Amino acid sequence: MKRDVQSVLLVLIGGAVLRISAFSEVYLRYVKEGLRPFLIAAGACLLLLGLIGAVLDGVLRRQADTSAVRQLATDHVPEGELPTGGDHDHGHDHQRGPRVAWLLCLPVFAIFLIAPDPLGAFAASRDRGTVAPPGDSGFSALPAGNPLRLTLSEFAVRAVWDKSESLKGRTVLLTGFVTPHATTEAWYLTRIVLSCCAADGTPIKIEVRGAESLPADTWVEVTGTWIPTGQEPSESVIPVISAQTVRKISPPKQTYE
Amino acid sequence: MHEQLVVDQSGEPSAPAPPSRRRIGALEALSLGLLVLLIFQRQLVGLFDSPAVQTWATIFVSITIQALPFLVFGVVLSGAIAAFVPSRVFTALLPRNSGLAVPVAGAAGVVLPGCECASVPVAGSLIARGVTPAAALAFLLSAPAINPVVLTATAVAFPGRPQMVAARFVASLVTAVVMGWLWLRFGRSSWLHRLRRPNFGDRGRWGVFRLTIQHDFMHAGGFLVVGGITAATLNVILPRTVVDTLASNAWLSVLVLAALAVVLAICSEADAFVAASLSEFSLTARLAFLVVGPVVDVKLIALQVGTFGRSFAIRFAPLTFVVAVASSVVVGWWLL
Repeated sequence: MKRDVQSVLLVLIGGAVLRISAFSEVYLRYVKEGLRPFLIAAGACLLLLGLIGAVLDGVLRRQADTSAVRQLATDHVPEGELPTGGDHDHGHDHQRGPRVAWLLCLPVFAIFLIAPDPLGAFAASRDRGTVAPPGDSGFSALPAGNPLRLTLSEFAVRAVWDKSESLKGRTVLLTGFVTPHATTEAWYLTRIVLSCCAADGTPIKIEVRGAESLPADTWVEVTGTWIPTGQEPSESVIPVISAQTVRKISPPKQTYE
Repeated sequence: MHEQLVVDQSGEPSAPAPPSRRRIGALEALSLGLLVLLIFQRQLVGLFDSPAVQTWATIFVSITIQALPFLVFGVVLSGAIAAFVPSRVFTALLPRNSGLAVPVAGAAGVVLPGCECASVPVAGSLIARGVTPAAALAFLLSAPAINPVVLTATAVAFPGRPQMVAARFVASLVTAVVMGWLWLRFGRSSWLHRLRRPNFGDRGRWGVFRLTIQHDFMHAGGFLVVGGITAATLNVILPRTVVDTLASNAWLSVLVLAALAVVLAICSEADAFVAASLSEFSLTARLAFLVVGPVVDVKLIALQVGTFGRSFAIRFAPLTFVVAVASSVVVGWWLL
């Protein structure tokens, strides 16, 4: 890959990264919010490197070409092979970059043309959705509110691990998307939890009873009350909510928890 | 500028005869590709309609995007080392005796805050600057695992279990130092053939800085994409439930989580949270996950192929895996 193309590619990658981080919030589909400043910095670096490279290499080549033409007159150096090319004994010429660099086009195309959706029901259905035990700090009292708005993680960890059963008798409001069970009529209210990026996303699933399933990936708000399964606390428990209302909503800006 | 581009597009490595000016070069191919993609965007997006392919694409983009800032940081640092730090600084800082330089360089990994994507180009640059490969490799393996950012993340992910942080630190450092010493005893510099950088010496310091960054980014970036593709594919085709059923056997579970660390290729700054969520596995198995992940994973192997060469990576990565697993078992038995 020649330096011209390298510069174009650097501009494209830098532009793609800036497009999803600086000028939109698409990056939230792939990584955590905290990475944004680093993405912007990295995108700006690559863009700048590409622009400077395009300009400077043009200048350098014009100088090199003048000398190459002079040399050509004497010893027929093939055109396009610059005399400053460096060593050629290990398979790739440094005036050109490695072929593998072409693959950098893939993420650029993926971002500009497809901008893949955040993880949803397909990813969630592949994982059982185990609720990890909380740290040693224990549970604080739940705040007031009727219905009480909780994240799925808060609801699930209390449903499975809180021995004082603080959820008992409380009406809660949960937001998530629909993941239907693969074989039965059951369905789960779901959120994906990211630690760092979508590659480590793990689902939190809460079985919803008392309401018909909607199509996969539909975003809903569910109000309802916790139903103990009788096996808590245990990692094999999937928490259950008895639904009073299920309301369709548009997807939130941040789909992950 | 425009005429210059046309004149220079002679295409693939020089033929004996002067190539025709009409041949399609890389830049034309790229422009044509972009045009086709723009025109047929709708049809192409249609190909990505199935949820499995969508999930694959999401994971692929997210691995690439997540790693990119660290990779850029790494190549900028490596460019700065190549351009502005004279070789004598390293000879002054590291002990003359290579056997001693290995643990010193391993411990120096504490100072590079980042993940494995940053440390590969930096280690490459260190070797190019005359640092003993054994010491640079010890640094390569220790830096992503024992820097303060990663250790803090581990402490946060395992509340009330500070011994996990200690075990991770010790097991990772031991892995790095043992690998450094093994390289010193058995390694051959011919395996590092990729590392011969072009000579940018005639371009001035800033020219060297810019061209080294570009050179390293093009190599490592392409292979980062290879790693991202591999990890995303394995992530989609490997159901997590299969992994979970293997948790009960103590010995098997260590190997399973070590292998999972290789295929998932999670950034070392985040792997502690994933390990914490794998609560059905023993602490030693999860320690193996945390020790193996930063030193061997599919993304890292691809980066090593790109930076050091294939003959290096096919020897170094499997051996590192074995040493890392052994070191986590011993340290886990001792500390956890």
